[in-house]
Amino acid sequence: MTYLLYPGCSLEAGGSHYEVSVEAVFKALQVELKEIEDWNCCGASIHYVGGTELQTKTLNARNLALAQKQGGYDIIAPCSSCYIQMVKTAHEFDEEPELAAELNQILGEGGLSYSGGIKVRHVLDVLYNDVGLERIKAAVKKPLTGLKVAPYYGCQTTRPYGEYDSVEEPTSMDEILAALGAEVIPFEHKVKCCGSGIFFTEMDTCAPLVGDIIGEAAAGGAALISVPCPMCQMNLEIYQPRLEKILKTELDMPVVFVTQLMALAFGMDPNKDAALNRNIVSANEVLRHLAA
Amino acid sequence: MVMATKAYDKSFREEVYKNVDSGEDVKLCMQCGVCGITCPLRDKMTHGPRQIWSLIRAGKRDEVMDSPDIMLCTSCYTCKVRCPRGVKVIDIMHGLAHYALEQGIVPRAETAKFGKVFWDSIYKTGRVDETEVPMRYTLTAGPIHGLFNTLEMMDIGRALLSHKRMKFKLGPGIPPSKKIKGIKGLKKMLDKAQAMSPGKEG
Ligand code: SF4
Ligand code: SF4
Repeated sequence: MTYLLYPGCSLEAGGSHYEVSVEAVFKALQVELKEIEDWNCCGASIHYVGGTELQTKTLNARNLALAQKQGGYDIIAPCSSCYIQMVKTAHEFDEEPELAAELNQILGEGGLSYSGGIKVRHVLDVLYNDVGLERIKAAVKKPLTGLKVAPYYGCQTTRPYGEYDSVEEPTSMDEILAALGAEVIPFEHKVKCCGSGIFFTEMDTCAPLVGDIIGEAAAGGAALISVPCPMCQMNLEIYQPRLEKILKTELDMPVVFVTQLMALAFGMDPNKDAALNRNIVSANEVLRHLAA
Repeated sequence: MVMATKAYDKSFREEVYKNVDSGEDVKLCMQCGVCGITCPLRDKMTHGPRQIWSLIRAGKRDEVMDSPDIMLCTSCYTCKVRCPRGVKVIDIMHGLAHYALEQGIVPRAETAKFGKVFWDSIYKTGRVDETEVPMRYTLTAGPIHGLFNTLEMMDIGRALLSHKRMKFKLGPGIPPSKKIKGIKGLKKMLDKAQAMSPGKEG
């Protein structure tokens, strides 16, 4: 099993604990990841301020073209915002011949071309559909027994095509967490938006969105929230002290990547492989009995 | 602001169909209201997507272009997956925001500033340096205000740095952000794409 990894800008910085844990987990599951060479930013959710739609598609088409040159394997885009940008361009390229011709004319300016057909996949998609729950279960050495987890998918993870999971009520992460032995709580807000790309610049406006998500998780007795997206992880975690002031309520909820929990359940090193030391709202307390 | 403004401008809808990215999709809308109801920021918006479309059809140029709503879209795609007519709601919202900004109309100042720094970084280096971009954005407020903003965000920056989730920088450009190898080609592509975008031809 070989895939091309599109890390995206956030996996190199704010989501570095995602990158560490994704690589550890895929290695343990014997899945080979090759980074797309010389990839560029996907435009994320804020591309429209400076760029036109065609310019944003150009960014993504360049990455698709590079991936094709590198063997044309399926691409894994772990960040949901990268995923949605790439999957959208890949779909529209394959379905709209006129757009495909335009994009190739543009790619030609930089000596590249793309003939379509590459599949863009989310981490959850590959784990759930290609690796499968049986192999995940087989790798578990320290089950997350008794750990109550709120599965937060975020808004962009399964949208807009619902290619691998329901856009309204996804279950792939629930099932992966259950395979790790965790107790997954019912979670209404699982696909409600956290503020996404405008959270940072519209914090007062978006604060209630995060407040509702964390609030429901806490009310359901969750010890932590599990996410598959670095932007969700940032928005839900690092501003908690500021949000507590805005919302006048206590939050203090660890927000960890599903891959961090996997690494832990696989018996791997809590810091070197699961990168738990990179979480700002520490999950050590709730995970203590497991990390021992 | 370069365009002359009129209270009723029947040509506005044609302008949107022609010049705004995905603008033609407004024609498909049957005004069912699903997008407006399901939008996570519906309470914060004055009109919401459905009403924006009807304002476009009614030729209410100023009300559309000045509306903070067109820059309050979080890009969550809820509307897109629920719209019974397959309208690219989110793409039109983004397209309208881009179109307004190009004409010097700034519906949401902070997002406009941040987004510009973000795009500049892509254009100059091919990527977004997550330390550099917030630094540059903070400084757009001017030196004094920028300093306060920096201090306010300092605890967050420090936490990220100490948790290995941010690179150390003395200031914007120190040390400089790395460029992708193919940056020259990428710039050419982006310039070409801009020239080929709706409303930009010729
Ligand atoms: S959901 Fe679609 S058809 Fe309904 S009002 Fe919104 S854009 Fe129009
Ligand atoms: S994509 Fe934008 S307009 Fe559509 S529901 Fe989400 S925030 Fe609202």
